Amino acid sequence: MNHEIYDPDDMIAALATPWAESAIAVIRVSGAGSIEAVDALFSGSVKLAGAEARKLTLGVIRNPETEEALDEVMAVPFKSPVSYTGQDGLELYCHGSLPGLQKILNLLFQSGFRQASPGEFTFRAFVNGKMDLTRAEAVQEIISAKSGKAQSMALSRLSGAVESRINTMKSNALGIAAAFEIQLDYPEDEVETPETPMGELLQIKEGLTELIASYQVGRIYQEGVVVALAGRTNAGKSSLFNLFLKEDRSIVSDIHGTTRDFLESWISLSGIPVRLYDTAGLRKSDDPIEEEGIRRTRQVLKNSHVILYLLDGEAGLSEDDEAVLARADNKRVVVWNKADIASQPCPEGAVPVSAVSGKGFQELEKVLKDKIFHDSSTTQDGPVIDSLRQKNLLERALYGVDKVIEGIHNGLPVDILAMDLSEVLQALGEITGEVSSSDIMEQMFSKFCVGK
Amino acid sequence: MDFDAIVVGGGHAGIEAGLALARLNYSTLFITQSLDTIGRLSCNPAVGGLSKGNIVREVDALGGEMARLIDGSMIQFRILNRSRGPAVQSPRAQADKNLYSKLAKMTLEKQDNLQLFQDTVVDILEDSTGHKCEGVVTERGRIFRSRVVVLTTGTFMEGRIFIGAFNQSSGRLGEPAAVGLGTALRQKGYTLGRLKTGTPARVKKSSLDFSQMEEQPGDELMQPFSFFREKSDRPQLSCHITYTNKKTHDIIRAHMHESPLYGGEIVGTGPRYCPSIEDKVVRFPDRERHQVFVEPEGLDTEEMYLNGISSSLPEIVQEEFLRTLPGLANLEIMRPGYAVEYDYIDPMQLLPSLESKRHEGLFMAGQTNGTSGYEEAAAQGLMAGINAAMKLQGKAPLVLSRAEAYTGVLIDDLVTLGTKEPYRMFTSRAEYRLSLRHDDADQRLFPYAEQLGLATEQMEDLFHKKKNGLEEIKELLRQRRVSGCYLRKHENLIPHEGKNCYMALKDPHVNLSHMDEAVPELENYPPAWLDHVELDVKYEGYVARQERQVARFKKMENILIPEGFDYSAAEGISMESREKMKTIQPRSVGQASRISGVRSSDIAVLTVLLNQGRNRSINNADK
Ligand SMILES: Cc1cc2nc3c(=O)[nH]c(=O)nc-3n(C[C@H](O)[C@H](O)[C@H](O)COP(=O)(O)OP(=O)(O)OC[C@H]3O[C@@H](n4cnc5c(N)ncnc54)[C@H](O)[C@@H]3O)c2cc1C
Ligand SMILES: Nc1nc2c(ncn2[C@@H]2O[C@H](COP(=O)(O)OP(=O)(O)OP(=O)(O)O)[C@@H](O)[C@H]2O)c(=O)[nH]1
Ligand SMILES: [Mg+2]
Repeated sequence: MNHEIYDPDDMIAALATPWAESAIAVIRVSGAGSIEAVDALFSGSVKLAGAEARKLTLGVIRNPETEEALDEVMAVPFKSPVSYTGQDGLELYCHGSLPGLQKILNLLFQSGFRQASPGEFTFRAFVNGKMDLTRAEAVQEIISAKSGKAQSMALSRLSGAVESRINTMKSNALGIAAAFEIQLDYPEDEVETPETPMGELLQIKEGLTELIASYQVGRIYQEGVVVALAGRTNAGKSSLFNLFLKEDRSIVSDIHGTTRDFLESWISLSGIPVRLYDTAGLRKSDDPIEEEGIRRTRQVLKNSHVILYLLDGEAGLSEDDEAVLARADNKRVVVWNKADIASQPCPEGAVPVSAVSGKGFQELEKVLKDKIFHDSSTTQDGPVIDSLRQKNLLERALYGVDKVIEGIHNGLPVDILAMDLSEVLQALGEITGEVSSSDIMEQMFSKFCVGK
Repeated sequence: MDFDAIVVGGGHAGIEAGLALARLNYSTLFITQSLDTIGRLSCNPAVGGLSKGNIVREVDALGGEMARLIDGSMIQFRILNRSRGPAVQSPRAQADKNLYSKLAKMTLEKQDNLQLFQDTVVDILEDSTGHKCEGVVTERGRIFRSRVVVLTTGTFMEGRIFIGAFNQSSGRLGEPAAVGLGTALRQKGYTLGRLKTGTPARVKKSSLDFSQMEEQPGDELMQPFSFFREKSDRPQLSCHITYTNKKTHDIIRAHMHESPLYGGEIVGTGPRYCPSIEDKVVRFPDRERHQVFVEPEGLDTEEMYLNGISSSLPEIVQEEFLRTLPGLANLEIMRPGYAVEYDYIDPMQLLPSLESKRHEGLFMAGQTNGTSGYEEAAAQGLMAGINAAMKLQGKAPLVLSRAEAYTGVLIDDLVTLGTKEPYRMFTSRAEYRLSLRHDDADQRLFPYAEQLGLATEQMEDLFHKKKNGLEEIKELLRQRRVSGCYLRKHENLIPHEGKNCYMALKDPHVNLSHMDEAVPELENYPPAWLDHVELDVKYEGYVARQERQVARFKKMENILIPEGFDYSAAEGISMESREKMKTIQPRSVGQASRISGVRSSDIAVLTVLLNQGRNRSINNADK
């Protein structure tokens, strides 16, 4: 019904750094009144509204209702027009723990901020003339690149199971909407009053409650996903590890058994925090140190959600490889490394990649993401939602459903009930696709025989 | 120039357009095919209904005529949906159709500056550039020149009616189609489509047995539609309800192949919300019966209208199946039901002022634009008339927003989204319907009538009297408290003891009648005012909840896109969206965002580009 519109005037907030465990994360807020709004949550040596612009102030973010201290942060206020967006705003340097960040963001959303849409800070910068635009397509590039990425991210975030759950709820809600609207669009004597859809409402309520709860249980975003690189020595595990990290962290050499102890690091895979392990190559060894390394490797492999099992394309499949592959393991992704100098064709089901040239890496990332979302080890408890945005929207929907139910109990007229219900549809629509008034009418005319 | 303005078509759209122009002192020629059919109610003898009643009252608030015509000719009045949603309830009246039409003609005849003339328009005149409309050409070869033209051709443009195998070039049964104009417009580059609608049989009252039907009386209190008329005092007649049955459906099914609809002769799209009985039987095979309303067509006619059972089956089949309904066993058909198919113009070719994008000075309104319904036609006619007058005055058009009137929703939908089936108003089409009540249409829109010069002194007096009255009532409610002594009579007030009456009224279980002791002055005010205040108070909180959305909506509506904005240079906007914007020519960013398929990022870029333009012109002004 309502097209998502970039409104340059309300207060927005978003995490500016990648959604991953890190030392420091930056939350950015913008909009008139945003400094004052954060002041209400911030206790520091000075009030941010009075503080010198573009200077760090140390303080604590506290939930004013529960008094709970969420994090010690550094806040940097920016005063219009000297800021990125041209508006008043703030940057909050927080500790990069994901649960902590989520609490802070939640608090901001409860305090009048809205989650920034993709590219929205940049959009505001343009609107306020902060960016000199010589060519208009630059805007589109930035905005649509960001929203495109975010959209595809949002889509892939939504696992099939969750999507179908939400779609079912949405179409049930649409049915209820049709039953309400028909009463508002046709008089009493032409269309009988449909039964009060209490059963359907309770069902939607239950579904929403369950999904919202799944956020607390499942949330790969909070706990991260453990991914380990494994394979025989010299397969290129450390090379691939470095490629994921985009830095030379692990030692690479053509000597077999270079990596002795495992290494770990957080990376962000389109926003999913992944704890990636490089491990010691698997082979029989008499060296006690290497043996210990291999023992540790096995431990890591046991605890990981996904194993990227590397084959050495140059050397081909070893007996050990054959033995490993013979055992089924649904958390394994087989990678055909050194595809650039491979001696034989990539075996079926393996992902060809070159850790040296980077060829095939994007495809590997994609396969890995799919694995994370569709693998039972990360989403054991059935459908799980894993983005804060989805959770917020589901909560909005639940709030609307509760209002409708309460309204029915209080005997409120249908026009009010319909208004609350439209918020449910809008919130669900923002997750899986907009609901328009013609969708409702479609339902109306197909379900009810109307018209004098 | 022979005239300032020419209005083509004497239907509900034409009437409003003609009167508005003449009342704004423009010499206006009013051409219609027959002076005897002005303001005819082609289909059901009723005006108003859910959301449509609101439109009638909007027309009235803006200085239009429809409310006064129905007030003078109603034979039954009802407020619909009192129980379901007070904010979306709406008045409807049965009309004496001959009287309605007679009043319409008399009103036009008495209007200064308005010249009535019987003829059929077959073409429009263009100026030498081909981009401006300068008048019309008629069937009898007359040429009339004017600065603006309003076309309201209804179901007549290349109209064709169907009854079983019979079909004929007609706009309504017994009235010739207006042939030629559709072809002429096509040749001038307009996109026209075909739509279809239908009407049921008219039957003789004395051949019916009403004892076998349920009676449906009107409301006891007859209320005027017009805000500027204090009382309505007309005779009331009842409607009656009867039902189809299995036998009826069997006959219809057996003859389905004889329907022009299923035989493929009719290509136009019919409305889903107002299906023929054939459609109902096909689409809802499990329904055992369908309701039929038997409605009087007037005080001094035997003709009765069978609402809910429109059909284009052969006449004898119509007679056969109608006779299976209780009370209709001996019925005599006076006019058969029929379907009509006609040309409509794709309304996306119009600006929000209803002026054609192709020809300056040419306005279009009513069923011609793909709508259906008298009220929808009247609202457009009025807006087209007003905006034609604005054009003559060299002023900006009056474009009502979706947040202030159903009329705004109607026209915005038409020009932004177009329509593929006859468009009818529904409350569900209005995002902010709680703020579009029928009873506050005057508060929303009368100020425009005052500005435009369509308000008479008497109207202004009444308006301000009511406005002040509403405030007085609210003030009384705020001042008085619910004290203990009222509680015995009204238990519902118990939880509110000590609160002021205004707050107490917000409780769904409390209404104004409970305030009779606390505020005895209430009985001095007209019931309509009291209802108005009651709804204002009860819905205040809900309306406020929408306010943020409304504010956001208004902001986008207020970012105007300059006329002639160069979309081809707007490279940041996707090709597809650019093409669409170029065709639609939205007047604001808000309207642009409603074009189907336009994405948020396109709107973002558009906003940025407009802003840059503004920054630049401000900078230039500095220099
Ligand atoms: C068979 C039928 C069924 C209908 N069913 C429904 C329904 O179910 N529900 C509903 O809401 N509405 C229905 N209507 C529609 C309703 O009648 C119209 O919406 C309404 O009358 C439209 O008003 P208008 O002013 O646009 O056109 P009309 O009332 O059609 O008036 C057009 C007028 O213009 C004149 N005219 C046309 N062309 C020319 C010309 N070239 N030169 C001069 N004069 C011209 C005609 O003679 C006529 O007087 C039906 C109409 C018909 C005919
Ligand atoms: N051409 C080519 N060489 C590669 C590729 N991946 C790794 N190598 C080379 O293979 C050798 C071994 O790489 P490492 O990354 O150290 O292998 P590893 O699996 O970590 O080995 P261990 O730590 O000993 O178990 C190095 O010389 C790399 O440069 C590749 O995709 N293509
Ligand atoms: Mg290594």
